[in-house]
Amino acid sequence: MSENILLKAENLSKIYRMGEVTVAAVKNVDIEIVKGEFAVILGPSGSGKSTLLNILGGMDQPTEGNVTMNGESIVGFNDKKLTAYRRDKVGFVFQFYNLMGTLTARENVELATELCEDALDIDEVLETVGLGDRKDHFPSQMSGGEQQRVAIARAVAKNADLLLCDEPTGALDFETGIKILALLRDINKKYRKTVVIITHNVPIGDMGDRVIKMRSGEIIEIKENENPIDPERIVW
Amino acid sequence: MVMKKLDKRLIRTIGHSKGQFISLVVVVIVALIVYVSFSMIAEQMYNSIFQYYRETNFAHIFVDVSRIPGNSVDELLEIEGVDQVQGRIVFDVPLRVEDPNEKVNARIISDPGTEDQINSLFILEGEGPSPGTRTTAVLKQFFVGRDMKLGDTIRPYIGGTEYSLQVVGEVGSPEYIYLMENEQTLLPDEKGFGVIYVPEEFAQSAFGFQGSYNNIVVTVDEEHVNRMDIIADEIEDRLDRFGVRSVITRENHMSHSVMIQEVDSLEMMSTSITVMFLFVAAVIISIMLSRIVRKDRIAIGVLKGLGYDNRQILMHYVKYSLAIGLVGSILGVLLSVPVADMLSGVYIQYMNIPLFTGAFDIRYLFYGTLLTSVFCIASGVFGARSALKITPADAMRPETPKAGSRMWIEGFKALWQRLTFSWKMVLRNISRTKRRAFFLVLGIALTYAVTMLPVFMSTIWNTLFDRQYTQLQKMDYSIDFNIPVERNALLELQQLTDIEFIEPKVELPFELVEGWRKETINVIGVQRDTIMYGFRTASGRQIELPSKGIVLTDILARQLQVQAGDTIQINSVLPGKSDKTIQVKAVVEQYFGKNAYMDIEQMYDILEERDIATGALLMTDADVVPDLKDVKNIRGISSVQDMRDAIMEYMDLIIASMGTMMIFGGVIGFAIVYNITIVSISERMMEFSSLRVLGFDKKDIFRLVTRENAIMTVFGIILGVPLGYSICVGLVDYVSTDMYTIPAVIEPFVYVYSAAATLVFVFVAQLATYRKITNLNFIDALKNRIS
Repeated sequence: MSENILLKAENLSKIYRMGEVTVAAVKNVDIEIVKGEFAVILGPSGSGKSTLLNILGGMDQPTEGNVTMNGESIVGFNDKKLTAYRRDKVGFVFQFYNLMGTLTARENVELATELCEDALDIDEVLETVGLGDRKDHFPSQMSGGEQQRVAIARAVAKNADLLLCDEPTGALDFETGIKILALLRDINKKYRKTVVIITHNVPIGDMGDRVIKMRSGEIIEIKENENPIDPERIVW
Repeated sequence: MVMKKLDKRLIRTIGHSKGQFISLVVVVIVALIVYVSFSMIAEQMYNSIFQYYRETNFAHIFVDVSRIPGNSVDELLEIEGVDQVQGRIVFDVPLRVEDPNEKVNARIISDPGTEDQINSLFILEGEGPSPGTRTTAVLKQFFVGRDMKLGDTIRPYIGGTEYSLQVVGEVGSPEYIYLMENEQTLLPDEKGFGVIYVPEEFAQSAFGFQGSYNNIVVTVDEEHVNRMDIIADEIEDRLDRFGVRSVITRENHMSHSVMIQEVDSLEMMSTSITVMFLFVAAVIISIMLSRIVRKDRIAIGVLKGLGYDNRQILMHYVKYSLAIGLVGSILGVLLSVPVADMLSGVYIQYMNIPLFTGAFDIRYLFYGTLLTSVFCIASGVFGARSALKITPADAMRPETPKAGSRMWIEGFKALWQRLTFSWKMVLRNISRTKRRAFFLVLGIALTYAVTMLPVFMSTIWNTLFDRQYTQLQKMDYSIDFNIPVERNALLELQQLTDIEFIEPKVELPFELVEGWRKETINVIGVQRDTIMYGFRTASGRQIELPSKGIVLTDILARQLQVQAGDTIQINSVLPGKSDKTIQVKAVVEQYFGKNAYMDIEQMYDILEERDIATGALLMTDADVVPDLKDVKNIRGISSVQDMRDAIMEYMDLIIASMGTMMIFGGVIGFAIVYNITIVSISERMMEFSSLRVLGFDKKDIFRLVTRENAIMTVFGIILGVPLGYSICVGLVDYVSTDMYTIPAVIEPFVYVYSAAATLVFVFVAQLATYRKITNLNFIDALKNRIS
């Protein structure tokens, strides 16, 4: 089993100090993410899931505890190593897509792949996310769903092992949200990428191979899902 | 090579902020053009001056004596360090020209016609004067100014005889690169005064100087050049018995010092204008970039999330400023070629250095580009450095609102409560961005000061003339005789022409000594109750000549480091007169030249001669030149009106340089006000959008921004007044030389004009931002988290 573990967090805590007050955003979290799985981290807003995702993705450092990727600890990485980690190992998808407004869809993807040595074929990835004919459009000319597809293409095309998605449907309407989730599932299958989604939307949990529930910075439940359902069957 | 996507983003960002980009590029262009053309010309001019000196064997020391036999001249070779000596005859005489009303003076200089002479003539056309003939070579400025041709005849009037000399050459001389008749004329008058070179034996016979000279030029060995002053003193001592009128080293030589000052001021302009412009550009760039970085916070977080490192991200923003530097450099380089060419043209025309070609020097393009790039990169790094501190996780979180606090002005409850809501917003916003507001005020102050300088300069000539020729020298003409005459002889002049008032003067060179400092200058003796002079002290108090003692002009007093009450030594330069001491009774203002004045009666006592005059001072409405042209004994007539006219000829040049300075002020003012306003608008998109929703229209918002800038402009102008004043006074101080000072009198209207010009610049920049406000998409701004 242990050789199958892609990402492991042990006794992870993140404490913010604001003057006299200390706030623990993440408290003593232990989780394992298995290679190729589709994991969903569920929790209400303020439960610490974004902070956890940021730490797992090398965007933030924990106050305590350890994170290992393929057995190598990323805690204590200097800035340079952390940058390399984000560049080579992780792809991010954000709630508000965060595309560069002055670059076209294709250029937004290229922005990420320019950094990587064995990036995937951009046009093929854009085709996969269903934007084959929209690749020369600027973000302002696209709908929210299309923008999120560009963001997913950007994360996927890097050919990183791990895809971290922070509320990827949070800014989308129901139907578009479902389509995005289906796309993420397809990516998970087609490219064998490990996908971690965080969401406050409980029904989305049903599509995950593993569901991790958080509240007030702590993990309250981890559930292996024997029969994850198709995204198309999710209703909220 | 495929363009990196970040670079593409950069180019599109620039495309979206064209106005800002262009205005900054213009600032850089001005900096570069000024740097390249001014420094290049300064260096070339300096080099070509000295090259010219070498090629023509320019003298190091110039001596005026009463009369010295040729063999005594050669004795100077015994002095250690003296390399070559050469005696000359130098006299200023009237030149007869077709128009009898025209007053033309020529300086006749004897030419020994030998090889290897000092101050050898630089032949531009024809040849030098040949010994044994009545030929002459004419200095280029005069040749051109009087529209002469080779073969023409010119007619100097020497000691009552009119001679005819054939013009055989047009020449240049290192001694007269800058041609002025004397220290008091200040500007060249190429039609009215020139230099002609004649064979030595002709000069000697015409002036009655057979075998002797009245002027000596000396060159000094290379290794003794730094002992020049000591050698000059020794020469003076040795020549004492020949009546030394003046010993001038090259450093104090009129043409040379004007040239060196010109080079210096070009260098100063080059440095100060370049630095000022680059500094302004640098501050705007760093403010703008820091704003862009703040606005791009999330984008920076995303880039970091994607795996871009700090260096790449910082470079992305620094490239923005580098692009300004490079585009500015390329255009600046292209434009500096014609500008430098034009400027060289002006210098070639006015300076008469035959070896100065104004050829373009490619090195300066390199230096200039390097300089602007370094400034731009540095300001880029400074402005964008906060991008480094943004951590990807923080960037994803919304920015914490700025800590708000009350302003000191709110303490004045009565005042604060009276203000309308929008005025309160204006004041709050200014206090919230204090640093930027401070820069804006400073920028407007700078604009004011830069604008004030040319306005002030344009008034200088009037003030100068008013002070020098209306308040100090009230005469219309000053006449100098060849040989001193009896006072009574002045009555004869009155019979020849229509003179309202006439006074005698005795103007003779004396050496004034205080400790180790000494100056040989003309001391002028006039009647105590003279109506020709109005002496004033620095404080503006009118004074009368004392019956005993001497009055010094301020430049002279400064050089001798004496003040009223001190006693100095006064030595006659004429042979056989004893040295005396005299008390300085007052120091008076005089803007051109340095002199000393005393009661003519006391002058007689010093000279031990009574009732003579070396010249006369005239007040008249008549044109006396034609009436007096046949008076043998008149060496020269100088007319105040002619000097005024000479200045007017330069007015075009003065207006052109003023206009350029005004444009500089405008560029700075526009760049600062426009850019800062744009930054402020883009930063407050959300605020403005909310106001739109509340019912403000576009004009209301524009008014809000305008009010803010109006307050800044008021403060800017208030700060600009002392700044402009110090720059003007500094300039006056800088350009004042041993020969002239400029009164630091700034008329009230100068302040008013400058303020008006500043207001215009600010208004234009403000208007240019109006489009930005009308084009803002307020709804989008409110909808998107990312603006």
